[in-house]
Amino acid sequence: MTRVALLSSAHMHVTSYLRALNALAEVEVVGIYDDDEARGRSFASAHQVRWVDRLSTLLAEADATVIGSENARHRFYAEQSADAGLPMLCEKPLATTLADALAMIAAARQHDVPLFMALPVRFVPTLAQMVAAVHRGAVGRVLAMVGTNHGNMPSGWFVEQPLSGGGAIMDHTPHVADIMRWITNSEVVEVFAEMSSRVREAGIDDAGIVQMRFANGTFASLDPSWSRLGSFPTWGDVTLEVVGTQGVLDFDAFRQHLDLYAEGTPSYRHLGYGEDMDAQLIGAFVDSVSRKLAHPTLAQGSDGLKALEIALAAYQSANSHRPVKVDGFLASAVD
Amino acid sequence: MNARLRILVIGAGTMGSVHSRAYRRLPDAELAGIVDPHWLGPSLAQTLNVAHYHAFDDVPSDAYDVVDICVPSPWHRPYVIAAAEKEKAIFCEKPLALTLDDADQMLSAVQQHGVRFSVGHCVRFFPEYVRAKAVIDQGALGQIAVARMFRGGGFPTAWNDWYANRSLSGGTLVDLLIHDFDFLRWVLGPVSRVYAQSVLPEMNRVDFSLVTLRFASGAIAHLEGTWAHSQFGTRFEFAGNEGTLIHDSYRERPLSLTSANPGGGVALPETPDLLSAYDLEIADFVDALRTDRPFRVSPDDAYQALRIALAASQSAQTGAVVSLEPESSLTRQGGGAQ
Repeated sequence: MTRVALLSSAHMHVTSYLRALNALAEVEVVGIYDDDEARGRSFASAHQVRWVDRLSTLLAEADATVIGSENARHRFYAEQSADAGLPMLCEKPLATTLADALAMIAAARQHDVPLFMALPVRFVPTLAQMVAAVHRGAVGRVLAMVGTNHGNMPSGWFVEQPLSGGGAIMDHTPHVADIMRWITNSEVVEVFAEMSSRVREAGIDDAGIVQMRFANGTFASLDPSWSRLGSFPTWGDVTLEVVGTQGVLDFDAFRQHLDLYAEGTPSYRHLGYGEDMDAQLIGAFVDSVSRKLAHPTLAQGSDGLKALEIALAAYQSANSHRPVKVDGFLASAVD
Repeated sequence: MNARLRILVIGAGTMGSVHSRAYRRLPDAELAGIVDPHWLGPSLAQTLNVAHYHAFDDVPSDAYDVVDICVPSPWHRPYVIAAAEKEKAIFCEKPLALTLDDADQMLSAVQQHGVRFSVGHCVRFFPEYVRAKAVIDQGALGQIAVARMFRGGGFPTAWNDWYANRSLSGGTLVDLLIHDFDFLRWVLGPVSRVYAQSVLPEMNRVDFSLVTLRFASGAIAHLEGTWAHSQFGTRFEFAGNEGTLIHDSYRERPLSLTSANPGGGVALPETPDLLSAYDLEIADFVDALRTDRPFRVSPDDAYQALRIALAASQSAQTGAVVSLEPESSLTRQGGGAQ
C-alpha cells in the first residue's frame, strides 16, 4: 500500500490526480493539507478526502506527496516533503524562479528523495510512438518543430504574477518544451518570445509566441496562448509537428474526440476518448515510489528546471525584444 | 477605354499560363501575345493561339496596352522598368522584387512614367481569405491577440530549378510567406518587429521557416512556411477576445483526387469555384484599369510586404530581431501610381 498525501488544492489538476489515485487499489490517499484552510476544507469535503490541519501530521502518515499548490509555493511544499523523506510529484512549472527550482532540487538530493514533475503529456501513447518514429529516422534529420498548447484563460491565482510566476507562457511552456527536448535529445540554447495581454487585458500575458533554437541546430516554435474562449468546442490543445528532411510527423494529444452538437451554448463540444494521460502519470509515480525505481517516462526535477529556464528566458526576451541565450540567462540568474 | 485591353504576358511558366488563361476568360481583354525565350513560350502561345515572341523588344509597341510580368523574381526589375518606359500599365507577379533597391528602382520608374501598377498578391482574392478579412473587419472576433498562418507543400519544380537557388527565389521567407505577410498586413495593419528562423540556405531542395511578427496594434502572428511537406495547403487561425476564426485547406476539399501518378510543377491551390482566385485577381486588375479605380494591391502594399519578407530573411540570417517601425515607404515619395 502506498500512502499519498495531497499538498494543496490550488491547482485544478489535483482533482484529476486524486481521481487517478483513487482508482488504484494499492494507493491510499491519506489526506490533504492546504495553507489556505478554507480552500483545503472545501476540497476535502467535495472529494471525500480527510482534511488534516497540520502539515507535519499529514507528512508523518504518508509515503509520497503530490504538490498542487500555487507555483510560487511549490518550493515550500517540496522542501517539507524532502525534509520528511517523502518522494514527491510536483505540478508544473517546477517553480517561479530559478533560485527556488535549484533549492527544490538540492533539497531532494540532500534527503535522497526523488522529485518528479507532473508532465503527463509524456504518457500519451501516441507521443511515445512519435518519439520512437523520429528516433528511428522516419522523418530523416529533424529540421524544426512547431508546437501549440492553447488553453482557456484560467482565473484566480493563475493570473496573479507573484503566485503564478507569469501567465500563458509560464503555464503552457513546460509541456511542449519538455517533449521537444525528448524528441531532439538536445537542449534549448536561445529563446525569442513575443507576448501580449490582448485576450483578457488582465495585466498578465495571455497570448504569446515562443521561438527556440536547440544546441543541435533544430529550431522550433510554441504557441502557449490562453486564447481559447468559452465558445471554443474544447479547452485547448497540445500539438506538435516535427519537420524533417524526409517527412513530417504530426502529433495531436487530444485528437481522439467525438464532435457533440447539442442545443445550448456552446452548441458544439469535443468529447475526448483518448487514453487518460493523468492516470498514466499517477500510475507511473506510484509504481516508482512503491518499487523505489525511477520510471523511464517520468520527468525529473531537472527536466522541470529546463522547462522553467525556457519560460523565464521567454519572459526576458519578450520584455527586451531580443533573443535571449538560455545558458547566459541561467548563469546571471544564479549569481 | 472602350476597346478591349490588349495584354502581353511575359513568362510562360506556371503563373504566365494561369494569367494568360484568366485574360482569355474576360470579354473586355485579349491576349496580345506571349514573350518567353524558352520552349514553354511557343507551346503556350500555340495552345492559346496567340503570337509568340522571343524577347520583349521584339513586340511592336502598338500591339498591346498592358504588360503582365511572370518571369522569375530576379528579372522583375528590368521588365517592369522597360514596361514603364514604354508607358504601359503593368501587372507584376509577387514578390515585387528580391531587394529593396530593385523595388525602389521599379516603383520610381512606375512613378516617373505615371503608369498604373499592381502586384500579384493573389491571396487577397482567395475567397476564404476575403471572407476572413470581412469577418475580422466586422469585429466578430473582437480584438485580435494571436494569428497563426501556414502555407506550403512540396519543394516547387520549375524552369532551371530556380526555386532551389535561394538568391533567385528568396525561398520560403520571400517567395512563399510574402502572401501571408501581405494578407496579415491587410488585416492587422503595420508590422513593428520581425523575428525568423529558417533552414540553412545551402540545404538542397528543403526549405522551412518560422516567423514571429509583432504588429503596431499589439497583435502577434506566427507564420510557418514550408517546402518540406508534400501536399500543398494553407491554414490560418485568428484568435481574438470575442471569437476565433480557423481555416484549414487540408480539411476543406470538396473534391479530392488521389492519383497513383503525382505530378511535379509549382503547386497551386485547387478550387471548386467557377472562377479561381487568379481569375478574380486578373478580372479585378482589368476592371480597375478600365474604370480607373485603385487596385486592391497598391504598389506600396507590395513594397511593404517585401520589406517584411526581407526583414524576416535578415533575421533568419543574423539571429537578431529586425525592427520595422515606423512603416517607411519608398525612399523617394508615395508608393508609385495607384
